[in-house]
Amino acid sequence: MLAKGGSKHARWKLRLSGWTRLAVIFLFSVVLAGYVLGPFVWLASSSIQNEREIISVPPHWVPEDPTLLNFKAIFLAQRKGVTYETRTQADPVSGGYIPSTAKNLLPSLWNSLIVAVSVVVLNLVVGIPAAYAMAKIRFRGRSTSIYFMLSTRVIPDIVLVVPFFLFISRLGLLDNVLSLIITYLAITVPFTVFILMSYFESLPDELDKAARVDGCSRFQTLTLVFLPLALPSVAAIVLFSFLTSWNEFLLALMFTQTIASQTMPIVIASFTSDFTISFSFINAAGVVAVVPPVLLAVVFERYIVSGMTAGAVKG
Amino acid sequence: MASIRIEGVTKRFGNVVAVDDLDLEIHDKEFLVLLGPSGCGKSTTLNIIAGLEDMNEGNIYFDDQIVNFLPPHRRDVAMVFQSYALYPHKSVYDNIAFGLRMRRFNRQEIDRLVKHAADRLEISHLLQRRPHELSGGQRQRVALGRAIVRQPAVFLMDEPLSNLDAALRVSMRAEIKRLHQTMQTTFVYVTHDQAEALTLADRIVVLKDGVAQQTGTPDDIYQRPCSMFVASFLGSPQMNFLRGSLKKEGDRVLFCRGGFSLDFPSAMARKLVGHAGQEVVLGIRPEDVDERTNSPTANCLHGRVNFTLSIGSDQYLSVQAEGVELFFRVGRDTRCADGDSVAIAVATDRLHVFDKETTQSLLW
Repeated sequence: MLAKGGSKHARWKLRLSGWTRLAVIFLFSVVLAGYVLGPFVWLASSSIQNEREIISVPPHWVPEDPTLLNFKAIFLAQRKGVTYETRTQADPVSGGYIPSTAKNLLPSLWNSLIVAVSVVVLNLVVGIPAAYAMAKIRFRGRSTSIYFMLSTRVIPDIVLVVPFFLFISRLGLLDNVLSLIITYLAITVPFTVFILMSYFESLPDELDKAARVDGCSRFQTLTLVFLPLALPSVAAIVLFSFLTSWNEFLLALMFTQTIASQTMPIVIASFTSDFTISFSFINAAGVVAVVPPVLLAVVFERYIVSGMTAGAVKG
Repeated sequence: MASIRIEGVTKRFGNVVAVDDLDLEIHDKEFLVLLGPSGCGKSTTLNIIAGLEDMNEGNIYFDDQIVNFLPPHRRDVAMVFQSYALYPHKSVYDNIAFGLRMRRFNRQEIDRLVKHAADRLEISHLLQRRPHELSGGQRQRVALGRAIVRQPAVFLMDEPLSNLDAALRVSMRAEIKRLHQTMQTTFVYVTHDQAEALTLADRIVVLKDGVAQQTGTPDDIYQRPCSMFVASFLGSPQMNFLRGSLKKEGDRVLFCRGGFSLDFPSAMARKLVGHAGQEVVLGIRPEDVDERTNSPTANCLHGRVNFTLSIGSDQYLSVQAEGVELFFRVGRDTRCADGDSVAIAVATDRLHVFDKETTQSLLW
């Protein structure tokens, strides 16, 4: 009986410790989710609030009087010129106020898309063959080139701004989206090659040999055998290079002057230096800005984690 | 079907010489085994034959046609690897069909050949599975299927059985032997397992540090090793080595070590007489025992049994004799206990004698 009672007690203790563990995990998960999602929820919520509601205390997480006027403003801004004289026509407190550079938002979205998609495509075109060559082909200077490439990633971007500027200026590419594509490639390609190279190295050399004996050229070995196996890493690279290009601010600020090449972060930042700041409009613009990366992340979600850690551990 | 000629092939990786001036003739339909320890250059040689590795010097001929610069897919070779190297993202069917698709066979022909190969290897029921759903033995069968389906001129096998368990290895060994008989194709097989080499090969090439030590039939290499390295590499347990010196007494040549002396048969004595007075190493295979007796006779090694190891059909005796530990194989009916004094009569006509300095055989 004693033993039975003892085991019952032990079982309760065990069950309690299980619950405590679950409770702690749940609590931390909620805190983490709140920390990560809080700003995003506030961005989404405030994008459908008017200016008065946004600055109300306490803040309204759920809008009392939701409005789509802010989004409407984004798409109408093209046709509605905002000048020093006309800026007071709308009441910034009630919403409907549009920053003077608002009409730049949609063109900048297009510029951002052009830059990000080009960087993604060129990353894959350059990075995949380079990573395969470095992982599977022995050539003179192989390890030197790997170290050289990786060493470029330990230099902070701010150090590169002046050399990049001179370089772009000499090429006559200032205020041209090409300047951004070129510099973003310099930043992202080493990382792309590194991630893919680690993955390719984790695949056995025999796979490469088997494909070549089976009748594949080097290029076919890459496209028919290695690439299908590396899809998680490729997905991670697509996301990484897209997000890097989409979010980049410093270089874009240096190289772009007009809406011919300005990207979204620059234009959205410009809204804060206007005559009056419209938080509702900025937040609506922010929502528009996060839509493409979020869509991309949703599409590639199942590949992201496995891709990022691929090659880290040889299985 | 093809004969292969390797002429003065050298391969260097930086400062390391993996293959050193190798000359080799592989006959049409022959089963040639490249045997040697890790890092002896056997896999590199195989890769060079396949065209997967460039060589620094030398030439390779397939049927008198030089193939130095032909890429692997134009050499008509098939290869089986130790790690199977199946394409993980493809089904068994697609793995086997891949080589045919790359060679632009039509769909019906591919289907017929794949099913035929699968039938032959008894893997027809696995065709829709992925490699990760197969056991080691099944994977190796698929790898073999991928190789045989193309009916290549040359089969290259790089330690194909090393990842399998012992029982499966023996049965797959028989399978490969059967394949060679039915396919009538040239096989080049790399292994570090002497049992595999001895059972499968028509001829064996023993490699060490990128240099071919000896080429010959399994019997030839086992019975007439050219050096201590070859002698020790083949045979399990390995050959017993006993240092001593040669003495000439009249017509006879004796091996002497301390109080132990051994009289060579006249055929051997004729070859050894020129080396009288020289320090040598005597080689005795564990199984080269005439009888076991407690009464001392001529050509007997006297010692004490350390322990016995039974292997079912036979037993191994560890004997401390002449200050060294020697292994002998005796019948399972022989009764002896640890610590017993024994006299081992060695079969003198099957002895080996090596130069102590050069380690080369003096009987060649």
